[in-house]
Amino acid sequence: MHESTTPLVPGSRPTTRREFFRRTAQVGVGLPVGAWLAAACGGSTSPSISSSSAARAIKGTATILNYAGWMGKHNVSGFEALHPGAFIKQNTEGSISSGAVVAELRARQSSFTGALGDLAVVGQSIAAGILQPLDWSKIPNVSLVDPTFRKAYSHGVPSDYGKVGIGYRTDLVKEDIASWHDVWRLAPKYSGKIVFIDLDRDCIGSALKYLGYSTNTTSAAQLNSALKALIAIKPHLQAILGYNIGTGLAKGTTYIAMDWDFDVGLAQQSSKHVRWVLPSEGATAYLEGFFALKNTPQLPVFESFFNFFLQPRQYADFVNTTGTAFVEKAATPYINKPIADNPALLVDPVTLKHVEFEEYVGAATALYTSVWDQFKSA
Amino acid sequence: MGPVQVRVAARGAGAVKGKVGRSIRAILALPTIGWVALFFAVPLVMVLVYSFATISLVTFNTTFGWTWSNYRQIFDHLYLDTFIRSVLLSVSATAGCLLLGFPLAYFISRQTPRRQRLLLVLVIVPFWTSFIVRTYAMENLLGPGGPVDHLARLLGFSQGLVLLYTPAAIGIGILYSYLPLMVLPIYVSLERIDAALLDAAWDLGALPRRAFWRVTVPLAAPGILVGCLIVGIPAMGEYVIPEVLGGGKTLMLGNVISEQFLSIGNAPFGSAIAVVLMLAMAAALFGLRRARKLEET
Repeated sequence: MHESTTPLVPGSRPTTRREFFRRTAQVGVGLPVGAWLAAACGGSTSPSISSSSAARAIKGTATILNYAGWMGKHNVSGFEALHPGAFIKQNTEGSISSGAVVAELRARQSSFTGALGDLAVVGQSIAAGILQPLDWSKIPNVSLVDPTFRKAYSHGVPSDYGKVGIGYRTDLVKEDIASWHDVWRLAPKYSGKIVFIDLDRDCIGSALKYLGYSTNTTSAAQLNSALKALIAIKPHLQAILGYNIGTGLAKGTTYIAMDWDFDVGLAQQSSKHVRWVLPSEGATAYLEGFFALKNTPQLPVFESFFNFFLQPRQYADFVNTTGTAFVEKAATPYINKPIADNPALLVDPVTLKHVEFEEYVGAATALYTSVWDQFKSA
Repeated sequence: MGPVQVRVAARGAGAVKGKVGRSIRAILALPTIGWVALFFAVPLVMVLVYSFATISLVTFNTTFGWTWSNYRQIFDHLYLDTFIRSVLLSVSATAGCLLLGFPLAYFISRQTPRRQRLLLVLVIVPFWTSFIVRTYAMENLLGPGGPVDHLARLLGFSQGLVLLYTPAAIGIGILYSYLPLMVLPIYVSLERIDAALLDAAWDLGALPRRAFWRVTVPLAAPGILVGCLIVGIPAMGEYVIPEVLGGGKTLMLGNVISEQFLSIGNAPFGSAIAVVLMLAMAAALFGLRRARKLEET
């Protein structure tokens, strides 16, 4: 079978994760896949389960709480074509904040089969008693996921990860920026030209890194110091945005930004002057995946779908659509070159050693909430 | 049948007709009452009940009770500051709408009927476009390299003028979006003023300025009041404009409520803020009505 790295939809361009958050429309799920699908599935070398018996067994509709469009263009239609009677419905009305996601899942548990969430969401879902352990024998393709991510995200199917670092314009900022310390130091000079991320854990976690603390600290004193640092820099911030951060960098209206790796990667495609920095103090990072909800009757559909999702070509479709840093090296040959070769999205042991994943912090969640409230209201 | 009997029979028939009319009116009103009860009264009661509940931000277990803790939390300086900021922004935006809207409404009311219709259509035209789209259009207008920035440079300001992500941008956004809501009720009041009253004022020796302040403005007062209410009340709880044009920095109360529901997941506290906001606006509404009644007596 001929294997190609050509995008599944000609002319398609990765859309940013935060753009997806703001969209209300779901990704098209009814696209005919025809011959491509047959080739993709038939040519898979992954340890996926046989489709003949599974296709007959899998029926029902799995509803997944997801970011808008956070799925490969052909993932759902491909699965549904392979399993007549099985459907994947994506609900994209959810919040991006971990607290609000768990609150919604808890309030409407029977409406969902599963959800997308980072380690903090997973931890909080376990604490809330709503997480359903998966039967890994039904998801053999999970073995294709890099062991680091699989181990870290053990309660669900890991899908993507991302780092929070610094993006800046080398033509507009004269100094070299290598650390969070540099950002705080240069803030008065570039006042009104700096943008921070409008997401609690990413923003507070970066301030904690600036101060030399853990992203997952539960110390009230350390969190209070982070709050002071954030309030100190706030008058110099142009904005606190949840989207379009990279656009400002690309246009040159933002000089320095706290930003996600993939977003800076996209900005770099528009401007050669945008530089990505993994801060020397270390970076906070998120590891996301899909997990199931307790007592869901559609668990077989959920497990079967995510086994399909982890097939290298399917997973590559997800990465090519979203532009995210990926967790499955086996998919690399099918991932578009600008993503696969982007240093900002690099998954190597040195980089991974430098990042700390955001995790569930138990009772200290309320402290983070309070810090975020105070920072936004200050 | 004597005249008395005829009158009694007619009264009886009228009473029956009245009862039937009332019943028909009640039946016709039922769908609206049902709709309002289901989508206004019930959610309002739910918000009220939630405002007295507590929630664990770890497990999201909600405990319903009658605690005042959410209401006490509102008096924390953080939220009080936000409340004051919201009041200031909405009051100044309302005043701005009045300052710009009254002359415009006055101008329109003094035109020929045909011109009035044309000008009113021009006032309403922005409503044909989605509110969100108009707000994002303002982002381009006030942002770096936008027309405002460009104009400032042309006028000799070397640094330009970037208003985006400032409190001024929020004020301008509210002013732009709500101006038609101020113009229309004032126009209706002004248009209804009998020209003979102004003639009488002039005949009695009042100069145009005095006639304007002593006759036109008092007669337009109901329209001004309605305009201030329909601009000030929604502006106070405005969420989209501060989010888009404020760059997430300048929080208004609407943003705090949204943050509590959509980001933090603390529905009880969000509900308590919403209840306080509603009560504050209801108090302002009744205060204004009472002041107006006292003025009339």
